[in-house]
Amino acid sequence: MNLPDQLSRLKSLWTRTPEQTKRLSLLLVIFVALFLPLRSLLIPADFGEIGHYRASALEENAEQHIHYAGQTICFDCHDDIVHTRNQGYHRGLSCEMCHGPAAAHAEDPGMSQLRVPRDRGYCPLCHEYLASRPTGFPQIVSASHNPLKPCITCHNPHDPVPPETPRDCEACHAAIARTKAISHHVYIPCARCHETPEEHRVNPRMFRPSKPMNRDFCGECHYTDAAGSEVTQRVERDTHGARYVCWQCHYPHLPEAK
Amino acid sequence: MEDVINHLEPLLRKIQGYIYPNEIELHWGILIVIYPYVTGLVAGAFILASLVKVFDVKELQPTYRMSLLTALAFLLVAPLPLLAHLGHPEKSFEIFLTPNKQSAMAMFGFVYAWYLMAVLLLEIWFDYRRDVIVWAQNERGPRRWFHRLFSLFSSDLSDRALKFDRKSVQTVTIIGIPSAFLLHGYVGFIFGSVKANPWWSSVLMPIVFLFSAIVSGIALVMLIYMLVTPMRRKEMDMRCLDKLASFLFYAMIVDFSLEILDFIHRIYESEESIGILAELASGKLFVSLVVIQLLIGMILPLGAIAVVKLFGVPAELRRLLYFVSALLVQVGIFSTRYNVVVGGQLFSKSLRGLTSYKMTIVGVEGLLMSIALLLLPFVILYILFNLLPPWTGTGRGLMTPPEGSQK
Ligand code: HEC
Ligand code: HEC
Ligand code: HEC
Ligand code: HEC
Ligand code: HEC
Ligand code: HEC
Ligand code: HEC
Ligand code: HEC
Repeated sequence: MNLPDQLSRLKSLWTRTPEQTKRLSLLLVIFVALFLPLRSLLIPADFGEIGHYRASALEENAEQHIHYAGQTICFDCHDDIVHTRNQGYHRGLSCEMCHGPAAAHAEDPGMSQLRVPRDRGYCPLCHEYLASRPTGFPQIVSASHNPLKPCITCHNPHDPVPPETPRDCEACHAAIARTKAISHHVYIPCARCHETPEEHRVNPRMFRPSKPMNRDFCGECHYTDAAGSEVTQRVERDTHGARYVCWQCHYPHLPEAK
Repeated sequence: MEDVINHLEPLLRKIQGYIYPNEIELHWGILIVIYPYVTGLVAGAFILASLVKVFDVKELQPTYRMSLLTALAFLLVAPLPLLAHLGHPEKSFEIFLTPNKQSAMAMFGFVYAWYLMAVLLLEIWFDYRRDVIVWAQNERGPRRWFHRLFSLFSSDLSDRALKFDRKSVQTVTIIGIPSAFLLHGYVGFIFGSVKANPWWSSVLMPIVFLFSAIVSGIALVMLIYMLVTPMRRKEMDMRCLDKLASFLFYAMIVDFSLEILDFIHRIYESEESIGILAELASGKLFVSLVVIQLLIGMILPLGAIAVVKLFGVPAELRRLLYFVSALLVQVGIFSTRYNVVVGGQLFSKSLRGLTSYKMTIVGVEGLLMSIALLLLPFVILYILFNLLPPWTGTGRGLMTPPEGSQK
C-alpha cells in the first residue's frame, strides 16, 4: 500500500469516529500531557531508590540529635553501680529510665548534669497501689507508707531491697487490708483467720497461708451457742444459709456488704 | 503538657474499667462518620440511576437524572471530611503521584478518581450532551458559555451521534454498577480488614456497607424528589414514588437480614471479645444502636412502608408516610455509620474497659464543621439543578422564574 492510500484510510477512520470520542480523547490527551511532566516534576528525584519513600529521608532522620546513650556505656565509668543494680530487684530497669537521656553526659560527664530523682514523688510512678498492676508487684500506698521521708532514705534506688522483710500484711495486700480496716471485722487480726507461715512474707507464692475451710470456723464467733462477746451478731447453726459456706454470701473482709 | 492534661482530664472521668493510655481519646471522630455516610449516598443514588438504564424500570425515569446529579454533588463533598481530618491536607494529592499498592487507603484515591471521572462525569456528559447543545443555542451570556464548555463545544445532533450517546450511557452504566459497588464496598473493606478490632473485623462488612448504602441512596433521592417537585409547582408522580418505596423496602429487608446475620454470627461465634461488645451495645451504644439505628431507622420505616403496601392508603397519607420513612432511614443510616466508626473505638483492646467520645462544637473536627459538610452537597445540588436541570423539556433551573418574566 502506498502512502496516499494509507493517509486516505486514516482520514476516513477519523471521519467515522463519533464526534464525542474525538472530543473526549482530546481531553484525555491534554490531561495526560499535563499530568506526566507535572508528575516527574513533583516527585523528588531520590524517591523509590530504596523503598516507597525518599532515600534522603534516611539521612535526614540519621542527622537527628541523639539523646539516649543506652546502658552498656555507663559501665565504663560507673561499674560499681551497674554491678549493684544487676544484683537487685531493679535489674530490669535501665539507668536512663530514672536518670533521663544521658548521651551528652556519656560524651562529656563534666559538661552535663543528669536528673537524679531524689524526691518522694518519683518512685510511686511505678509503685503506687493500682488495681490493674499485676498481683505480686511490689506496691505501696504512699500516703500511709512512711510518709514525708524521701524513699531513698530507706531504700537504695539501685538495690531496693526493703530494709527488713515486711511485718505487715498491708504492705502487699493493700486493698484487702484497707477494706478490712473499715469493716466490722476491723478488730480481728488477719492471722485469726489465716494461719500465715513466716516464709510467706519472703516467698509468698511458695508458702501460702491457710484459709478458713468450713462454716463452723465463722460459727466459732457467730453461732447462737458460741462463747464470746455479746456484741457479735448470732445466727442459727442449721438454718442460716445452710448447705453453703458463709463467704458465698458474706465477703469476709467486709462482712456487712450486702 | 498542661494543655494535654486539661484536655484528657474530663475524658478520664468517663472511662469504665481498664483501658490502655492511647485509647483514652478517639482518633476518628465525627468527620470519619460523615465520610462513609456520604460515599454511601453516592453509591446508593448511582445504583438507583442504574436501575432505570440497565433494568429499564420505566417508572423511575423522573428520578434518573436527579439521582445522577445527587451522586455527583455528594461525591464532590465526599473527600472533604477526610481532608479536614488530615494533618497536612495539602499533601494529599501525592497519593496519586506515587501510588502505594500496599495501602488500601492510598489505593482508594484511585477508586474515587475512577468513579468520578470515568463513570459519573462520563455518564452525565453523554446523557446531557444533546440537551446542553440545544440549551446553549437559545441562551446568552455566561450560561451559554458554561453549556458550550460543558458539551466540550460539541455540536453534532445527528441521529448517529444521539444513538452513540445512548449506547455510551448504557456501557458506562454497566461499568458503573461494579464501580459503585467497589466505591462503597471498599469503605467497608477498610473497616472490615482491621484484624485487631473485633467490632470491625468481619468479611460481611463490605456487603453490609453496600446494602445500607443502597438503602440510604434510594431514601435520599426520594426525599429530594419529594422536596423539589412541589418547589417547581409540579405534581408528584405517584407511580414513581411507589416504585421508589418498593425498592427502598426490598433493599432494607436485605440490609436488615444481613445485619441480623452478622449479629447472630457474632453471638454464636462468641469470641473472647463478645463480653465487652455486649457491654458496649447495651451501654454506651444503646441509644444510637438499638433505639436509633434499629428501631427508628429500620423497623419503623419498614413497618410504615409495609402498611402502605398491605392496605390501600390514600395518596396524600402515602406521601407523608414515604417522606417520614425516608427521613428516618437517613437518621438511621447516619447512626449506623456512627456506631461502626465511633463504636469501634470505644472499647479497649484489652477488652476490659470502655472510653467515651466527646464531640467538640467548633474546630475543624467539630460539630459545626460537620453540619456545614452535610449541607454543602445540597448547595452544590442546587447549583447543579440550575445549570443542568434534570427535568426534561425545559432548560430552566429550579428557582428561575418562568419564561417571559426573565429579561
Ligand atoms: C566517661 C565516663 C562516664 C560515663 C560513660 C558515664 N558517666 Fe555518669 N558520671 C561520670 C562522672 C565523672 C560523674 C561525676 C560528675 C560530677 O560529679 O559532676 C558522673 C556522674 C553521674 C551521675 C550523678 C550526677 C549527680 O548530679 O549526682 C549520674 C546519675 C550518672 N553519672 C549517670 C550516668 C549514666 C546513667 C550513664 C550511662 C548512660 C553514665 N553516667 C555514663 C562519668 C561517666
Ligand atoms: C529506680 C531509679 C534509678 C535507676 C534505675 C538508676 N538510678 Fe542511679 N540514682 C537514682 C537515685 C534516686 C539516685 C540518688 C541516690 C542518692 O542521692 O542517694 C541515683 C544516684 C546515682 C548516681 C550518683 C552517685 C550516687 O551513688 O549517689 C549515679 C552515678 C547513678 N545513680 C548511676 C546510675 C547508673 C549507672 C544506673 C544504671 C546501671 C542507675 N543509676 C540506675 C535512681 C536510679
Ligand atoms: C520504672 C518503674 C520503677 C521505678 C521508677 C521504680 N521502681 Fe522499684 N521496682 C520496679 C520493678 C519492676 C521492681 C521489681 C519487681 C519484681 O521483682 O517483681 C521494683 C522493685 C522495687 C523494690 C523491691 C520490692 C521487693 O520485692 O522487695 C523496692 C523496695 C523498690 N522497687 C523501690 C523503689 C524506689 C525507692 C524507687 C524510687 C527511687 C523505685 N522503686 C522506682 C520498678 C520501678
Ligand atoms: C522510713 C523508711 C521508709 C521510707 C521513707 C520508705 N519505705 Fe518503703 N519500705 C520500708 C520498709 C521497712 C519496708 C518493708 C515493708 C513494710 O513493713 O512496710 C518497705 C517496703 C517497700 C516496698 C516493698 C513492698 C512489697 O510489696 O514488697 C516498696 C515497693 C516500697 N517500700 C517503696 C517505697 C517507696 C516508693 C517509698 C517512697 C514513696 C518508700 N518505700 C519509702 C521503709 C521505707
Ligand atoms: C511480701 C509481700 C506479702 C506479705 C508481707 C504478705 N503476703 Fe500474703 N500473699 C502475697 C502474695 C504475692 C500472694 C499470692 C497472691 C496470688 O497468687 O494471687 C499472697 C497470698 C496470700 C493469701 C491467699 C493464699 C491463697 O492460697 O490464695 C492469703 C490468705 C495471704 N496472702 C495472707 C497474708 C497474710 C495474713 C499476711 C500477713 C501476715 C500476708 N499474706 C503477708 C504477698 C504477701
Ligand atoms: C474473719 C476472717 C478473716 C479475716 C480477719 C481475714 N480474712 Fe482473708 N479470707 C478469709 C476467708 C474466709 C477467705 C476465703 C474467701 C474465699 O475463698 O472466697 C479469705 C481470703 C483471703 C485472700 C485470698 C482471696 C482474696 O480475696 O484475694 C487473701 C489474700 C486474704 N484473705 C488476705 C487477708 C488479709 C491480708 C487479712 C488481714 C488484713 C485478712 N485476709 C483477714 C477470712 C478472713
Ligand atoms: C473472732 C470472732 C469472729 C470470727 C471468727 C468471725 N466473725 Fe464475723 N463478726 C465478729 C464481730 C466482733 C463482728 C462485729 C460486731 C459488731 O461490732 O457489729 C462481726 C460481724 C459480722 C457480720 C455482721 C456485719 C453486720 O452486718 O453488721 C457478718 C455478716 C459476719 N461477721 C460474718 C462472718 C463470717 C462470714 C465469718 C467467717 C469467715 C466471720 N464473721 C468470722 C466476729 C467474728
Ligand atoms: C445463703 C447466703 C448466706 C449464707 C450461706 C450465710 N449467710 Fe449470713 N446472712 C445472709 C443474709 C442475706 C443476711 C442478712 C439478713 C438480714 O439482714 O436480715 C445475713 C446476716 C448475717 C449476720 C448478721 C445478723 C444480724 O443480726 O444482723 C451474721 C452475723 C451472719 N449472717 C453470719 C453468717 C455466718 C457465720 C454464716 C456461715 C455459718 C452465714 N452467715 C452464712 C446470708 C447468708
